[in-house]
Amino acid sequence: MQSTISATTTKKPARNVNDAFASHFAKSMFLTVAGIAILVFIGTRMFTHIDLNLYGYMVGTIVFLGGFFYRFIAWGERPPTKIMIKKGLKLLFRKSTPKTAVNHLAIYDFIRNRGLYRWVQHILIGWGCVLACLVTFPLVFSWMYFTMEENGYYTIVLFGMNVMKVPAEGIIAFFSYNALNIAAIMVTAGVCMALRRRLKNMQARAEQKFMYDFLPLYLLLIISVTGLLLTVQNVFLHGWMQPQMSLIHQFSVIVTLIYLPFGKLAHIPFRPMSIFARNYREHYGEQEMKKCKVCGDHFVSVEQSNDVIQVLSTNEMEFNMKDGFNLAELCLPCRRKYRIARFSGFATHQVKVKEANQNARG
Amino acid sequence: MKKRLYLELENCIGCRSCLAACTQCGGHEQRNRNYVYDVNPLVNRQTMPLMCLHCVNPACARSCPAQAIQIHETGAVLSALVEKCIGCQNCTIACPYGIPKFDTEQNLMYKCDLCIDRSKDGIPPMCASVCPSNTLQWLTDEEIEAKQKHFTLDNGKWVTSMPYLEGDTNVKVNLPGILQGVTKLF
Repeated sequence: MQSTISATTTKKPARNVNDAFASHFAKSMFLTVAGIAILVFIGTRMFTHIDLNLYGYMVGTIVFLGGFFYRFIAWGERPPTKIMIKKGLKLLFRKSTPKTAVNHLAIYDFIRNRGLYRWVQHILIGWGCVLACLVTFPLVFSWMYFTMEENGYYTIVLFGMNVMKVPAEGIIAFFSYNALNIAAIMVTAGVCMALRRRLKNMQARAEQKFMYDFLPLYLLLIISVTGLLLTVQNVFLHGWMQPQMSLIHQFSVIVTLIYLPFGKLAHIPFRPMSIFARNYREHYGEQEMKKCKVCGDHFVSVEQSNDVIQVLSTNEMEFNMKDGFNLAELCLPCRRKYRIARFSGFATHQVKVKEANQNARG
Repeated sequence: MKKRLYLELENCIGCRSCLAACTQCGGHEQRNRNYVYDVNPLVNRQTMPLMCLHCVNPACARSCPAQAIQIHETGAVLSALVEKCIGCQNCTIACPYGIPKFDTEQNLMYKCDLCIDRSKDGIPPMCASVCPSNTLQWLTDEEIEAKQKHFTLDNGKWVTSMPYLEGDTNVKVNLPGILQGVTKLF
């Protein structure tokens, strides 16, 4: 009886918070802007400590968020990306995650293996930018500011709380004033190294394009140099032309922010995916490995083989062979030999001989 | 004039010049991305080269979660962008020909990019430049058509596409005469 009723009456769809939003994009945008607004409300002690000098950056950040969500939501809808994000999130709390995260996001182990020079330049640019962001955005949204109640002592206020009182001439204060200068010097040095490599290295020269490879470097350079000039103007020139330079600096930062999700710099917000990928391979590799249908070697996890077959089928690609296997079920040497077999008419992949050396350097 | 890489498989003499040349291309970081296989290693010395065939609809790029594999306007399927590749190796599983190579230390996939710095300006890729036996050639579509007439085959078996490959490719492959039912004269 119960079942007939539910079958005849139209089932009321369950209420879902997502119904309140026109799109994934609208939801992400709303939640993020609302989150920032709340944090600003707390950080500024109910909007009493907003640094309006930095108002342009605030607007720039909101525009950046629009581009950021547009780019990354579109990207996350691709079938392989969707699978990787879903399974990556599920496997996020593996024991190896912190180690992988440090390797991939903090010390860039894999870049060191691509060359020491590139690693040094990447460390300088990467950490310079991170440091600059950690200082800039809290200041822009007034999550962090300084007050001086007692002469000679600054109070550092973080999210509306008095965190500590430091002497204005002390070491902590020094690093607070100069954090952006240090970041700018790091980025400038890193960018100069990168530019040098791009001008000297024949391999880099073969592939690089102005818009993709040089433009982000120039943008970072303009930001760093104008930022350093602001300090120079304040310290040595009594603030001569400082307001103008401040606008140029602001403009360059906002252009870079808006550009960020669409060019080479898009790899920054995107890089944590490599941790997902590593966890995905480690976890499913431990569970069950796929045996090559021809030689029996374990070459990939069963899960990944199935995922790839499924992703390809959503793209209407089915590599099911008449010989009774899918190509994704063959290890790489066997798959190559199988193609030679198709070309030659002789079953090369069935010959029990190890693949000949394919490395030209021996 | 747009030119293509064109393979006449049975010309291969197994000298592996193409592998050596591949290492010397700008952007290849001295690692070759192509292969040479013995067809029947225990019986004779016939070899055949295998390299990326630059699919029109590449499975590697379709399976890449990071959009690291880009397709050049010439149709070449490029090697993974170093800053985007996340090292998941989906591409190596997806490729129907088993072409992409993976460097675990650098956490980076690399594959044939048809020497894009050369071929985008109409210069043949390194492998085709050095091949001494005309196995790898760099030809216009008209020249490939002329070849087709030269072989005078009307059985649909001349240049491989389906059923010998898994889809349409930018690199054209001429099947060995044995499969076409003819003896080729050179």
